[in-house]
Amino acid sequence: MFKLLIKSVRSRLLPVSLVIITLMASMVLLLSIERIQKATEIGFNQSISGVDAIIGPRSSSLELVLYTVFHLGRPTNNITMKTIDDIRQRKDIEYLVPIALGDSHRGFRVIATEKDYFKYIKYSSDKSLSFSDGQAFNEISGAVIGADVAKKLDYQVGTKIHISHGSSQAVAKKHDDFSFEVTGVLEKTGTPIDQAVFVDLKGYELIHLGWQSGTKVFNLKQLDLSTLSQEELTPKTVTAAFVGLKSKLTLFRFAASVKKYPNEAISAVIPGIALSELWSMVGIVDQGFELLSWIIIVISLIAMVSLIISSIDNRKREMTIYRANGATPMYLSTLVVLEAVFIGLTAIIGAIVFVTLVTYLATQQLNLILGITPEFDWVSWNEAKVFAIILLAGILSSLVPAIIVFKKNLHHTLS
Amino acid sequence: MILTTKDLRYTYQNGETINFPDVALDVGKKVLIVGYSGSGKTTLLNLIAGALKVQQGEITLAEKNYSSLSSGQLDKIRADNIGYIFQTLNLIPFLSVMENIELGVRFSKNRRSNVSDLTQEIVRLLTSLGLGKKVLDTSVNRLSIGQQQRVAVARALLGQPALVLADEPTSALDKESAKNFLNELSTTFDTSKQALLMVSHDLSLAPYFDQVIDITNKNV
Repeated sequence: MFKLLIKSVRSRLLPVSLVIITLMASMVLLLSIERIQKATEIGFNQSISGVDAIIGPRSSSLELVLYTVFHLGRPTNNITMKTIDDIRQRKDIEYLVPIALGDSHRGFRVIATEKDYFKYIKYSSDKSLSFSDGQAFNEISGAVIGADVAKKLDYQVGTKIHISHGSSQAVAKKHDDFSFEVTGVLEKTGTPIDQAVFVDLKGYELIHLGWQSGTKVFNLKQLDLSTLSQEELTPKTVTAAFVGLKSKLTLFRFAASVKKYPNEAISAVIPGIALSELWSMVGIVDQGFELLSWIIIVISLIAMVSLIISSIDNRKREMTIYRANGATPMYLSTLVVLEAVFIGLTAIIGAIVFVTLVTYLATQQLNLILGITPEFDWVSWNEAKVFAIILLAGILSSLVPAIIVFKKNLHHTLS
Repeated sequence: MILTTKDLRYTYQNGETINFPDVALDVGKKVLIVGYSGSGKTTLLNLIAGALKVQQGEITLAEKNYSSLSSGQLDKIRADNIGYIFQTLNLIPFLSVMENIELGVRFSKNRRSNVSDLTQEIVRLLTSLGLGKKVLDTSVNRLSIGQQQRVAVARALLGQPALVLADEPTSALDKESAKNFLNELSTTFDTSKQALLMVSHDLSLAPYFDQVIDITNKNV
């Protein structure tokens, strides 16, 4: 029966292929949206771990998370180091790591921070950062680079780098009077950390000593750096600070009390809550796409049934010869249902291959744009359920032409 | 007797009724049923093939009376005992000659069991019908109408069904081809096991048959 089915389908290759392609395309659309959305969500959620709150200037909490964790967008304001020091004194804090953003190196974001960053900041459900080569910086001229930076720029421990003022490579002016030396290369994390250059906060302050309002006023080479005091190298402001609390139970109380800090308008953002705000916004768009995809799937199934029904008349001769040679109506109906199964299965296999291709390309894009490297399964349990629903719907809808064939009397076709 | 029909009467939806002559067909016999177009020849074949339900009268094929059989049993009777040759469009265009002929035994274990070596038997039938082994894998679309009719005959004869029904198989052929076709059909047809019932409007075919029945006048 299968051999006859394949030969029959081959004789109607164009219309059958078009139905398969339509069905496959709708499944690719549905699954790609779901996969990319889920993978992005997982990738985002895994990008930061071990951080209970992010302290920054009072603004949109989502914006603060996006530029401090995902290096997306630009900080609009800073907070003073005095405020950071005040909060650091709190007894409910386990650690506080300040970061300053704004500069870049050959298109990669520069994060000025303290050595503790590499001790406390984690990723992917509590994994600590580790070095594939070298170690964290001990000097103000030290720099640590992410795995992607090392790979793309072919840097290793000992490489000297200059960082540029500003985050846009096109208009950035180089801090060419002071060079940092790479002291460590981080292991790949699949997070934006891979695409970052970390420098010591004091070194970062140093290279900005000769700058005023984004313009270089004097060259650092004119200064005797050994005469500079620690106080002069302590930054006056930072962009934000990552905070870990001794007890998670105090998280909301901590966030509320930070908001009431009297000397500066700051806020403590809980990353998980900010990200769920993001997903609830993205989710509305996704639901729209998902609904659209299901509508297309239904249309594709209707097209499949229409194709089979319209082909019944064209296949009158084929059916008559089978029947005249003893084929039962049940045999012919089964042939019709099997055709729907064949179309459905071919579309599903094609969809799996295409979705894998699409998600592979999407991974590249997500890595390029967001710095995250999500992982995909070939076929997830949920996807298998979607395929089963579509196949079942295809089989059920093929019962309509199957019944038409079953009821067709042989004499209608013989005469 | 392979086939007997008795007092067959069929009423169409428009109320028109046809009384058919009785037919009795024994092994080795070839019967031609003649009649003008619309006289009910094809209806009689459809009744014998089990494609139409018997309204009145009796049909017995291979000792089975149709009135006591379900439609499923009729399908089985047809698969096991009847080889059918249509007027035209006898073959499935996307199958090869071999695959088209093979359909003759595909739906009947009984007919399949009569053939020990399928390819060899198909080649024998094709050779006997004037087509060689070379057409075996050919697409049927590449054959002439006459060649296609021969392939259809090979399919109808494969597995030696007791009754071969032919519905004006020579209508699309010229006189010479029709003559050759009937000669080949007569020589390939196994007179020790099979019977042939053919309908046609062409009385000139009568010499090839043992018996001619005029459906219009119920004359034998």
